[in-house]
Amino acid sequence: MELEFFSAAFLSALFAIVLIDLVLAGDNALVIGLVARNLPKQTQNKVIFWGTFGAIAIRAAMAILVVYILAVPGFMLGGGLALVWIARKLLTPEQNAEASHLAKAPAATFAGAVRTIVIADAIMGVDNVLAIGGAAHGSILLIVLGLAISVPIIVWGSQLVIKLVDRYPSVILLGGAVLAWTAYSMVVREPLLVAWFEAHPATKLVTAILIFSISLGPWYSERLSENMKPLVVLLPALLVWMLAFEVAASVLKVQVDYLLARDQGEYMLEGLRWLGWLPLAAAFLWLRELMVGRTRRIARS
Amino acid sequence: MLLIRRSPRAANAVRTVSPGGELFVASVVICMILASFGDAIDPMVFGEAGLEFALFDLGGEFSVLAMRHWHLLQLLLAGGVLAAGIFVLRIGSRAVFKTLRPAPHRAIDKVPI
Repeated sequence: MELEFFSAAFLSALFAIVLIDLVLAGDNALVIGLVARNLPKQTQNKVIFWGTFGAIAIRAAMAILVVYILAVPGFMLGGGLALVWIARKLLTPEQNAEASHLAKAPAATFAGAVRTIVIADAIMGVDNVLAIGGAAHGSILLIVLGLAISVPIIVWGSQLVIKLVDRYPSVILLGGAVLAWTAYSMVVREPLLVAWFEAHPATKLVTAILIFSISLGPWYSERLSENMKPLVVLLPALLVWMLAFEVAASVLKVQVDYLLARDQGEYMLEGLRWLGWLPLAAAFLWLRELMVGRTRRIARS
Repeated sequence: MLLIRRSPRAANAVRTVSPGGELFVASVVICMILASFGDAIDPMVFGEAGLEFALFDLGGEFSVLAMRHWHLLQLLLAGGVLAAGIFVLRIGSRAVFKTLRPAPHRAIDKVPI
């Protein structure tokens, strides 16, 4: 799909790509520093240049490949679900952030150093590439433009990015929200599900709330008191329960709407849909209470 | 390791974020959910439920139903406006409630009537 140049859709997708690139950027400077630290000074400069060049080239190639892969039925849904996990990981507070384990050993040769930098960037950038592939709506031009804007900022202006998130930490939350929005648009664009979503329009809203509650859950659960924390699990679980009944109704060809129910079995199914989650929620709360109590006892002893 | 984790404040963003920034992002998320609501709802349902007034008189046609076509930048702008509105409302309501609260009997600035 080609978007009109400088239209609202084009600029929105470009903004999403740049924001995702910035919040999910790997620490290339750290990797390059670790890999090239034992090389002679002159070789170090060459390693920095060719390592950066190789990393940008492999990133662009991967992003363009992702656009074609996402066109295959099923991959858009898989990519959307992966983005939910990536957003969740981004918003989960890290207790002790560790340096990348991908490049701990210094390289002895120029080729070895460049290879390590490119491989480390490719592995660190998988989530990034998937996200920008989803946000680009299939436009190669957008991906190239987004990378052309954000990669120089990340490589040569990493201090600028650090200053930005240091001054405005809410950029990270905004990045998580944009990732969740991209995940939602990927899930509802999935070719295998488009017809189903058209037939069940209300499930789009449930899917959106489910994706946002799972993605932003770790952030907001930090603010909740210990008694309220189970809500972060219960709300998405309840939405999954409701969605599962809609899916089951489509697959098994049964009626789950009580206004349209035809026999006793369908009325019972409707009752199970609205009340069946209550014992499960009670069991979850009871088990959680048991686990919390046991953890407290172990900590005391 | 993510680049943003190099900033100590950003690595601990959930505790260091400003209330204003968080309000802005929460407003953007509300707008995104409203856009998906606009995408999910069938305008015929409003008619069947006798709620046409919500669409035409209360601006639902302009906002919720139109929001399905909005792009990210429009949602960000709407989120900004919503956050500013909530912020002004909070300041206004705080001023009103402060005025309604009676001053203590022995306060210096108590005006004798």
